[in-house]
Amino acid sequence: MSFDLWTLGFQAVNVLVLIWLLQRFFWTPVAAMIVARQASAQKTLDSAAAERAKAAAELAEIAATRAALQDERRAILDAARAEAEAARDSLLEDARAAAQVLQDTAKAGRVRAAETLKNTAIAEAQGLAVTIAGRLMARLDGSGTDAAFLGWLAEGLATLSDTDRKALTGATITVVRAKDTDIAAQARLTEIIAGALGTTPDLSFRTDPDLIAGLELHAPHVTLRNSWRADLDRIAAALADKDAVSDAA
Amino acid sequence: MDSPLLSEPLFLLGPVPIMVSVVVTWAIMSVLAFMAMLLSRRLTQVPSRVQAAAELLVITVDRQIHDVTGAAPAPYRAFIGTLFVFILIANWSSLIPGIGPPTATMETPAALALIVFLSIIFFGIQGGGLGGFLRGFARPNPVMIPLNMLESLTRSFSMFVRLFGNVMSGVFVIAIVGSLAALLVPIPLMALDLLTGAVQAYIFAILSIVFITSAVEKGKSPPKKDS
Repeated sequence: MSFDLWTLGFQAVNVLVLIWLLQRFFWTPVAAMIVARQASAQKTLDSAAAERAKAAAELAEIAATRAALQDERRAILDAARAEAEAARDSLLEDARAAAQVLQDTAKAGRVRAAETLKNTAIAEAQGLAVTIAGRLMARLDGSGTDAAFLGWLAEGLATLSDTDRKALTGATITVVRAKDTDIAAQARLTEIIAGALGTTPDLSFRTDPDLIAGLELHAPHVTLRNSWRADLDRIAAALADKDAVSDAA
Repeated sequence: MDSPLLSEPLFLLGPVPIMVSVVVTWAIMSVLAFMAMLLSRRLTQVPSRVQAAAELLVITVDRQIHDVTGAAPAPYRAFIGTLFVFILIANWSSLIPGIGPPTATMETPAALALIVFLSIIFFGIQGGGLGGFLRGFARPNPVMIPLNMLESLTRSFSMFVRLFGNVMSGVFVIAIVGSLAALLVPIPLMALDLLTGAVQAYIFAILSIVFITSAVEKGKSPPKKDS
């Protein structure tokens, strides 16, 4: 058994040197690398947590934006609905007014058509009456009719007012007859008119078949109508006045 | 067969004998230092298999130190870790034919035990100051001072004897069996020697940190007041 102190010293120094070497080249660098990796991993985790928080914040922001858009959409829809309802009411009002106008126009047209129809009927009735009167005249004795109308002329002249009588006196009176007036008839008329006015009148004669029968006196300011035409006109006027009174009622 | 308790110098450096164990230790130092330097230059954030194994070793040493001391492992990491790695490699160097493990000679375990003994004093004074460290010998009472001082010597001596005895006996048994039996017969014993070497390296490192922690804690704790 031997124990060498030199070897003891060598081995002690060797171990101390090895401790220094490994501390310098192994334990410290490797431990530093572990710490660096842990720091890197922690940094990555922190970054991931930050990214997650950021994503959550962005998600919340998106949700808020979506909610705001939803509210805006709802408001727009409400506004559009209100506007549509207003437009619908306006259109309905316009349509109602237009319908009323059309209805009024149609009613007025109907009234006008009825008036026109009535006037046409009256005119046709007048024409028919004239036709009937003409045909009756053709079958009546001409002399008798003339005598009747001359009598009615004398009665008419007798019932004139003083003003009309003065207007006829001295004025040129045009005598219009439905048929030509011969000399005898002219004399008879001059006699009747002079008798009624008290003076000899200035007469001129004219023929108008539209009178159907009878005669009329035309002065500048007075007209004395004594013919079937005048009678038919009076009847038509009376009928028109009666219809007007009926419509008004 | 030569006695394992005898060691002959490989050569003389003047009056200084250079034993085989010293040369083998130099070889182990060179290999470890070279590998450490090679590894430290290739450290990356994405570790290779070798770097992952090295990091696993560092993490394991750190965890063992933290479990024992409850403190940060950094001040003790290089010392305890290097003791463990050196003893493990030294023990396993017997697998190389013609190489005797340095720990199978008395000088190497003695040097290791001496370093542990001095490190206990160093860390004890560093932790609680010189006064605190010396007061630690007077606990639980001053009567225990001689026994505590003797204990501090004997526990380091026991580490020396334990390591030397286990490694030397393994080498001795394998040598005896190898000389008596066929070539393959010592293999199971060599495997057992591997396990013994690892266990002894672990025990030596753990006892070292336990004793260091004990000295640090004794130096830090306040003295008990006499009632």
